[in-house]
Amino acid sequence: MVISKAIRDQIEAENANYPRARGGLLAALHRVQREYGAITPEHATALAPIFDMTAVEVLAVVSFYDMLSSQPAGRHQVRVCTNLSCSLAGAREFLREIENHLGITRGETSADGRITLGHEACLGACANAPMMRVDDRYYEDLDTESARQVLDALD
Amino acid sequence: MATAAGVACEAEIVRITVDGLEYRLHAGPSLLAALDQIGVLMGEVDIPHYCWHAKLSSDGSCRLCQVEIDGQTGLQTACNTPVRDGMIVHTRSEAVVRARQTVLEFLMLNHPLDCPVCDQAGECKLQDYAWRYGAPNSRSREPRRKLEKRIDLGPGVVLDRERCILCRRCVRFCREIPRTGELAVFGRGDRSVIGLFPGVQLDNAYSMNVVDLCPVGALTSRDFRCKARAWQLESVEGVCGGCARGCNIWLDVAKGEVQRYRPRRNDAVNDTWMCDAGRLSYAEIARSDRLDKAWIRNQESVLEPVSVASAISEAARMLAGLVAEKGAGVIAGIASPHATNEDLFAFKRLLDEIGTENSGLAVPHGEADELLICAEKAANATGARAIGFEDARSLLERIRGGGVDGIVILGHDILTAGYLDDETLLGKIDSVILIDTHQSSLMRVAQVVLPARHLAEKAGTLTNCDRRVQRVRPALAADSELLTEGEIVHRLALALGLNGFEAGYDLPRVSRSLAAAVPPFAGITIESLPSDGAQLVSDGGEKGAVR
Amino acid sequence: MQKAPHVTDYLTRHCADDEYGCLRGFEAQGGYRAAHTALREMTPQKILDEVRQAGLQGRGGAGFCAGLKWSFMPAPEQQPSYLVCNADESEPGSFKDRLLLERAPHQLLEGILLAARAIGAQKSFIYIRGEYAEAARVMQRAVDEAHAKGYLGDDVMGSGFSHDVVVVRGAGSYICGEETALLESLEGKRGHPRVKPPFPAQRGAFDRPSTVNNVETLCHVPHIIGRGAAWFRSTGTEKSPGTTLFGVSGHVVRPGLFELPLGTPLDEIIFEHAGGVADGRKVKGVIPGGLSMPILPAGELDVAMANEFLQEKGSALGTGGIIVMDDRTCMVRTACVISEFYRAESCGQCGPCREGTAWINDIVTRVERGTGTAEDLELLVDICDGMEGQTICAFADAAAWPVRALLKHFYADFERHVREGVCSFSGSFQL
Repeated sequence: MVISKAIRDQIEAENANYPRARGGLLAALHRVQREYGAITPEHATALAPIFDMTAVEVLAVVSFYDMLSSQPAGRHQVRVCTNLSCSLAGAREFLREIENHLGITRGETSADGRITLGHEACLGACANAPMMRVDDRYYEDLDTESARQVLDALD
Repeated sequence: MATAAGVACEAEIVRITVDGLEYRLHAGPSLLAALDQIGVLMGEVDIPHYCWHAKLSSDGSCRLCQVEIDGQTGLQTACNTPVRDGMIVHTRSEAVVRARQTVLEFLMLNHPLDCPVCDQAGECKLQDYAWRYGAPNSRSREPRRKLEKRIDLGPGVVLDRERCILCRRCVRFCREIPRTGELAVFGRGDRSVIGLFPGVQLDNAYSMNVVDLCPVGALTSRDFRCKARAWQLESVEGVCGGCARGCNIWLDVAKGEVQRYRPRRNDAVNDTWMCDAGRLSYAEIARSDRLDKAWIRNQESVLEPVSVASAISEAARMLAGLVAEKGAGVIAGIASPHATNEDLFAFKRLLDEIGTENSGLAVPHGEADELLICAEKAANATGARAIGFEDARSLLERIRGGGVDGIVILGHDILTAGYLDDETLLGKIDSVILIDTHQSSLMRVAQVVLPARHLAEKAGTLTNCDRRVQRVRPALAADSELLTEGEIVHRLALALGLNGFEAGYDLPRVSRSLAAAVPPFAGITIESLPSDGAQLVSDGGEKGAVR
Repeated sequence: MQKAPHVTDYLTRHCADDEYGCLRGFEAQGGYRAAHTALREMTPQKILDEVRQAGLQGRGGAGFCAGLKWSFMPAPEQQPSYLVCNADESEPGSFKDRLLLERAPHQLLEGILLAARAIGAQKSFIYIRGEYAEAARVMQRAVDEAHAKGYLGDDVMGSGFSHDVVVVRGAGSYICGEETALLESLEGKRGHPRVKPPFPAQRGAFDRPSTVNNVETLCHVPHIIGRGAAWFRSTGTEKSPGTTLFGVSGHVVRPGLFELPLGTPLDEIIFEHAGGVADGRKVKGVIPGGLSMPILPAGELDVAMANEFLQEKGSALGTGGIIVMDDRTCMVRTACVISEFYRAESCGQCGPCREGTAWINDIVTRVERGTGTAEDLELLVDICDGMEGQTICAFADAAAWPVRALLKHFYADFERHVREGVCSFSGSFQL
């Protein structure tokens, strides 16, 4: 099965919170992506009937949101905020240094499949720049050295 | 202040003023819809629009249909502003003109300037509106967005992403009309594109309607691609002959040939849609198996070409001989559900005047759906029944019993409808006179073969599945040797010296006789028929005996 | 977890206390008392009237009167109806709701209970931006605690009122902070703002009457109900009562959150509370209310931070996110960063926004690189004109305002790029 019984059960339990199952779609997409690394066309096909949608609609939703992807990516999502407050605090130089450190540019995944690097529109940590999000965790008030330590510790 | 247009029904009627003219219209869901209902939109009331379409849900995103309404601040989109009594609307004010210019400038920013090679050129709403409302020059110095220029969405439709203005009519169409939902918008912002699910094609029975819906050249017909330029086409009103729905169409003609069918709006029949099979059926007009000359079987039992006049004389000689020898009861006729009401009425009268009651009708059947496609794969089976042709099965029994020695057959539906596996049974009949548009194996048993005009080549009326009588006009000039079934049987009747057939075939006169003689057709004549058709009078009288 | 504010008041007084995030800790500070009383003793209309009299303005950016918004909801017979908490805080420069979610989740739940009671909603959805994973975890834990204690679910606190709260995570899209885009997203769709009317109170979440309120807005409600409209009106200005959480970021000595009365002067916030500009430099410009709000030049900082005063200066309070730029800052680069953001986040639905955000970004990027012309600068203003008020939602306005204001107040910066054919602001932040 493209989506395991256990995941499917969790999805259906979540859907019960909404007047229409489709309210649970974003939660399901987060879940599938966490479990399988991406929401592939096969996942979309499996999800569509649960939400009374077409598979193409599922992928169209995926394509709208920055946190969702239909393409497999690295094990860890690293996002550096580069909006104005962070830029004023040197976030763009910071991002370039991280790029140099990882040997990839934003939008790319490291050769070992460990890290996909990107920049973010604003993460709501404007007073603590530079900062980055690693998966679900925020690292704030960073400098290049402390960021390297965080990144190097990732499996 | 003049009343420019109005509606007859008094329920929920409101008055509004648009550019100083007063309109009485239904309190519709939106200004555009209400103006569309009374038929003035894009006529005397010019409110340009892209995303709005009369038969699709409202979207509101293209922002082109903005108008000024007294008492409201800023501009309002006519596509989602409900009509209210007393509303005073301005569509040409300075603010409106400026807003349109701006919207068009935005949409033109990344639109390629490939009009010279674009199939849509000449019927492109971006071209039209930019010309009419746009600024003369683009102020942009930025390079245009590069995207895929040719994506084969499916068997019928090609997508050029650079030309797309993201009105999403195609997306809404697929979701709302065939309910197949193949298309979606992917991405966000200026990265938004129309697309399909990987590995899936845009391949539903109505897919090519998105080509008509697309206001620009983003979606083009693979069939029509690069065949003709829009300004070379002459469009003639017609009706599709592919099934009993009788979808209203435009026959677009260039270089003496029909280049394509396009749906023509008729809210009582097909809204603004037609199926792909019907759309592509224009190809049968010029197909290589078209009958274009008359044939007579010679003494060596071989068909040889003759003039139409000779063929009709030979047919008359055969029929007259049989009637004289064995009586009218050995003569029979098989009607075609593809022929017009007038053709069939002439044919019915021929058989009546010969004095035979042996007639039948064979209607090919196929797949049907809940939208437009009917099981009866012919345009006029309902008309044929109303005029008095009944199912051909009992006639075939009579033929099997050897009771028929001469037969006049219109078309070869008796084979395609599956009533006969092949022509063997008809081979038992001495005199088979075949009148048809296309070649078929019936020619093997025919003594006389007469070529007939296609629906695209003649005038007349057809009766659709809902008993609506609709008019067709000749889109193509036919060869003088190519006559309608009606005229052929008329000449045959003259050659037989039958009563009531005046010299010279006159279609309006036949139509008037039909209206007078067959009760369901009372009051319906070709000359008085409105462009959107008229309903047959009563529901019951399928038999419609000729008075 | 986010750091506690530098200056606190009633909303954030206990935010430094980790215990305050748990039900017990919250109740120890008097939490849920307002709900206990109001759910049993006040009619829904009375709760609504109190909030309306308090003059509580929405804290999500638009500043619409919360009590008035509630009053648009149809009679409670029209069940089901929903309360939607907009926790999609995404306005660059704003980070106050994150604090309230992470450090005072029960305060929000109490506000939700009271608001839901006032409008007759049987269920609430807290739509939290996807990146706020920590906030979603904390909120969910708080919801579970409240359920276990009988503060959510059937017959809340023995009042006969039943209410459920669902925590929903977004998935990364700024536009979903627009209330109707949020509703679309909540329904599992692409976040395309809806054409209005119908407004959410007529047809909102899942086609039912709904009210969408910002996190901070709801957090004020227990305090208003607990202490009364008159108390609430005793802080702030006459038209803009109460405190708010100002977030200060950029070139200041002490960036962070400051809970201060509405109407606190901007220069006081920057120079006294946030410690002024670092390295002894001067202010060049300040964005007073999150990225969408028009920038104010250094000479106009003596303004009270409330809409009625900021609007006189051609700006607005927005979300209270104050971004300070020192005198080294290149305002063309600033325009590049801002326009890049709006280009990335436009939903793409309306032509003028989809194309206009990209066009602005292309032009300012060119001006920054030194290939802009004087005509480009005029064109930018025209593009802003063509976007403002021309689209389904206010995103296009939000994208146009900051660019227009930068051109208005810092035209010299743009002109200098055009004239010199290069950016000569070598001390500015890097792109």
